[in-house]
Amino acid sequence: MPKYMFIFRGGAPEIPNLSPTEMEAHLRKWYAWAGELAKAGRHSGGQPLDDTGTTIRGRNRTVTDGPYAESKDLVTGSLVIEATSLQEATELAMDCPVFEFGGSVEVRQVIQHDL
Amino acid sequence: MLSEASPTGLIEDLFRRESGRLVSALTRLLGPSNLSLAEDVVQDALITAMQAWRFEVPRDPRAWILQVAKRRALDAIRRDRRLAPLPPLLESEWTVAGAVDSALAESETAVSQLAMMFSICDEALSEDTHVTLILRLLCGLSPAEIARAFLVETQTIDRRLHRGRTRLQQLGALVDVLDIADRDARQGSVMQALYLLFNEGFHGSNPENPLLPAMCADALRLVELLLDSPSTRHGEVHALAALFCFHSARLETRLDADGVFVPLADQDRSLWDQSLIHRGVVHLSAASSGTQVTRWHLEGGIACEHAIAASVEQTNWQRIVDLYDALVGLVPGPVVALNRAIAIAELRGPGIGLDLLRALAQEQRLSTYPFYWAALANLESRAGRSAEARSLYERALGLSRSRAERVSYERRLKLLN
Repeated sequence: MPKYMFIFRGGAPEIPNLSPTEMEAHLRKWYAWAGELAKAGRHSGGQPLDDTGTTIRGRNRTVTDGPYAESKDLVTGSLVIEATSLQEATELAMDCPVFEFGGSVEVRQVIQHDL
Repeated sequence: MLSEASPTGLIEDLFRRESGRLVSALTRLLGPSNLSLAEDVVQDALITAMQAWRFEVPRDPRAWILQVAKRRALDAIRRDRRLAPLPPLLESEWTVAGAVDSALAESETAVSQLAMMFSICDEALSEDTHVTLILRLLCGLSPAEIARAFLVETQTIDRRLHRGRTRLQQLGALVDVLDIADRDARQGSVMQALYLLFNEGFHGSNPENPLLPAMCADALRLVELLLDSPSTRHGEVHALAALFCFHSARLETRLDADGVFVPLADQDRSLWDQSLIHRGVVHLSAASSGTQVTRWHLEGGIACEHAIAASVEQTNWQRIVDLYDALVGLVPGPVVALNRAIAIAELRGPGIGLDLLRALAQEQRLSTYPFYWAALANLESRAGRSAEARSLYERALGLSRSRAERVSYERRLKLLN
């Protein structure tokens, strides 16, 4: 089955004073969502990303600190799933809890050469 | 890893503990004038944890949070050096990392939270403000959550927090429990605040959520911290901890599966938490080390008799009545008198209980307290007068503050038929 990558951007709450209860509630939504994907045999693992790092660019390999992005555009993690089509993958992403705090998901097909 | 099926509250509990511990430790390190900086650093660390744990919880979540908090604290100190006056150790790049490390070390857990609690429980601030600040700074609750628990507007909580923060910021440093002049007065206020905190979790006024187990757990955690320092480790602290343990042991059986209050007589005692009862017994024996008998000793003793009894009938009511007699002398008040009358009714029959209860009818506080009317109704029904019992239960029903109470009185009305 084709693989798709969900690329998560933003999604860090900007609400001040988010409490431990609300943080757990948000995490539970993620575990419930990932649990559903796993149950359907679609889930093959996610990767969280730290929000600091470096960027190297150009022929001169210029190194700069940090990713170039506004916090809402910052890539905060990715997840690879299996789906029959881009449309189905997009539907699977609809229930993702990243939207709760204004994040976004980019859905991209992973190119596999051994098909 | 934590999954969908894991018991709820694990991360919440961890975040509440770590939030209280880290905010206290950082405020102690940076000085109370930098309280909001400390709160921001911790909030940021918890949000980072939440974001990073969306796919999986790390093997050692506490160590994970600590690591991030240290990094964030160092960033904040380096960034803010020019803004706020910082202690000398933090001014130098040579010592700053070590200073942050030792301030946030496990061994400082009790010391820094005690310093925070004793600084908060200042006599210039009201009891309500003490409890509000404890919930915010040591338990991580949001102002909106505190407002919901106490049934007040969020602005009221914001005002209390503002008053409290302003007062704290005037202190040059958080107080040191080993070395303050008014330690005993502050300790009294700390214990009173924790008692209110526990009560709010145990018979909360919140209509949707009449039980808040996390709040009870916080109160127990914080009172046990007082046992960590020789200067605050008094018999009465053990007594208060015992009281919390005995009540917490039966917390879960106070509501049935439908979220309705279950009377003591009908609670499933086999579900009471035996390890908490045992912990309570240990505390209660340690409590007798002092020379003074406080209200916490008496209330702890009463809760103990209930917790260790096999049934309502086999409860040592004589001992409970004796303890209530002493309690009425120490802290007179209508609610204590009400509970004493109920205990006397168990010991000597509904007739005398009714006489005592009726004598309290003029008490302002009881006339709007549904439990008073329900207690009268219960005794009337046991005395065989169901018509009287019915109208009294109806009165209790009209005053009930939550669905849990209302349905519980409706059920008792039905049983009268």
